[in-house]
Amino acid sequence: MAMIRDRRRHKLVAYSLILPFVAIFSLVFAYPTFEVIRMSFTNAPLIGEGEWVGWANYRELLTDRLFYTSLKNNGYFVLLTVIPTTALALLIATLVNRLSGRMQALALVLFFMPYVLPVSVVTQIWAWMLDFQFGILQPAIAFFTGKPVPVFKNPNWVMPTIAVVTIWWTNGFNVLLFLAGLRNIPSELYEASALDGATKWQQFKRVTWPLLWPVTALVLTLQLILQLKLFDQVYLLSEGGPFNSSYVLLLMVYREAFQLNNGGYASAVALVLFLVIMVVSVLQFQLLRIGGKNK
Amino acid sequence: MSGVTLKNVRKAFGAVDVIKDVSLEVPKGEFGVFVGPSGCGKSTLLRMIAGLEDTSGGVIEIGGRDVTNEEPAKRGVAMVFQSYALYPHLSVFENMAFSLRLARASKSEAKRKVHEAAEILQLTDHLDKKPSALSGGQRQRVAIGRAIVREPEVFLFDEPLSNLDAELRVQMRLELTRLHKQIGATMIYVTHDQVEAMTLADDIFVLRGGVVQQAGTPLTLYDDPDNRFVAGFIGSPAMNFLQGRVTRRTEGGMAVAVEDGELEVRVEGAAPGEGTDLVVGVRPEHLGPVESGGFTAQVEMSEELGGNSYVHSTPPSGGGDIVFERRGVRERLTGQTVRLGAVPENVFAFTPDGVRVR
Repeated sequence: MAMIRDRRRHKLVAYSLILPFVAIFSLVFAYPTFEVIRMSFTNAPLIGEGEWVGWANYRELLTDRLFYTSLKNNGYFVLLTVIPTTALALLIATLVNRLSGRMQALALVLFFMPYVLPVSVVTQIWAWMLDFQFGILQPAIAFFTGKPVPVFKNPNWVMPTIAVVTIWWTNGFNVLLFLAGLRNIPSELYEASALDGATKWQQFKRVTWPLLWPVTALVLTLQLILQLKLFDQVYLLSEGGPFNSSYVLLLMVYREAFQLNNGGYASAVALVLFLVIMVVSVLQFQLLRIGGKNK
Repeated sequence: MSGVTLKNVRKAFGAVDVIKDVSLEVPKGEFGVFVGPSGCGKSTLLRMIAGLEDTSGGVIEIGGRDVTNEEPAKRGVAMVFQSYALYPHLSVFENMAFSLRLARASKSEAKRKVHEAAEILQLTDHLDKKPSALSGGQRQRVAIGRAIVREPEVFLFDEPLSNLDAELRVQMRLELTRLHKQIGATMIYVTHDQVEAMTLADDIFVLRGGVVQQAGTPLTLYDDPDNRFVAGFIGSPAMNFLQGRVTRRTEGGMAVAVEDGELEVRVEGAAPGEGTDLVVGVRPEHLGPVESGGFTAQVEMSEELGGNSYVHSTPPSGGGDIVFERRGVRERLTGQTVRLGAVPENVFAFTPDGVRVR
């Protein structure tokens, strides 16, 4: 009898412990998610009820040229950022790792500083630096191209430039992750491999790279998710222009929901982006894990 | 041809001299052991031989070749680390074949050499496993196997057994001795454990404060220590030390007053004059109850080991724990006051600075 009462009490304690989390999770995640899914099948405005329209929003999406442009731009941006920022972070981390004590801390602070800045400050800094008339980087651009370039108003330059700004802004965190990973590799392994006759490059290829692979896979996946969610930098630097050449899915969600008051359609776009991120990141992480096992 | 020779080797970290003018030689095919308390520089010295630490001064020769400024890989040495330093992402086979892969050895050669080494070390069944799936002793063997595969002139061991439990340590110690006989290469072994040093070594080098205190065969160090440090460091339980003062010369030595009695010490050379302060040392196995002479001590407790027992006692001055060994005796002395003495040949005398009086 006592056992049964104890077990009941046990359950009660367990439920009361998870209740706060479940309540908050339901309120701010589960319920809104459910609402977005429901809304995507209606023609509701941003606020207020709409009529059930079935798959109409999704059918419209498939014929929306802006949707394809945005999807393509998202993909282009991922290509421009994910692997380059990972490679750059790894390079910086290995260099910083060679510095000793105080110099290492200083270098880390320098690389991490941009990450602390709010996005609007970051975009303001770069908007100034790349300003067509007064930007201090324009002479450098002119050196290579022969003339100054209004980077945010040029369809060929806008996405790569936003990619550069984004990498500059977020790279410090990746450096930190890689540095933590590098510190986890025991120094004896490098001594042992040096005795075995490995050159610096062979040490990197045969010791550092395979042992760092879990961190690399993590950074790649985090970056993929983060960069697919691109919005602020585009909104603040180019507003999707010129000629929609930097238009991305979240910008589309924003415009449909808050500017055109098409809550239902915006929900459909958001849901598609959500699915894309889910599928791509899970797929990538699995692929990377398999790749890691074969090493 | 010589094995490993160090000539006036020095190592400084900043202003601190860690190794001070060390000269020593481990002849080819011998098993040399560096032993000393932690911080004595023994590991640093080994890493200098391996080339993992720069040498601040002096010359290191391996096989008659000056390697002082040579890269680690080109010194013909292989090292076994305390932490084993196995590559966690590679199988046992690949760990052992690592150096061969770097040297672009053919597949058949790599396979043959690894299997040979695995045979010696009884690792053949584990070649496909990752290091994480092995026990401590097996990992240790893989680390040794990795060294064997390289066929080095010199094997270096940096406290390789200290991460193993006591039983396994004894077993690995025997295996290392067997391995040394089988391979016949020069080996240098670092340990803080004097029992390991005694059992493994052809030659022991006792280090303290970056200086070689004494070098020689295990029994030389045991029977004829140069100074108080070596006398106290080698041997377990450690030698007993007593403060004393020379009272008179005897035939073939001197008598030294200790505690409430005296001990006679054999001295080959000229014995110090009357009244000289000395430290007298006697090993537990040489000290025992006597009818007359010696000094008194009160027995506190005994460690009974069956075949023998170590009796801990306190002299009248109350200073220090005096240990003596008894064999085949079942009588307990606890609480009694006994008279302890030793034959002159087994009593060592040291100056207050710790130098042996011979």
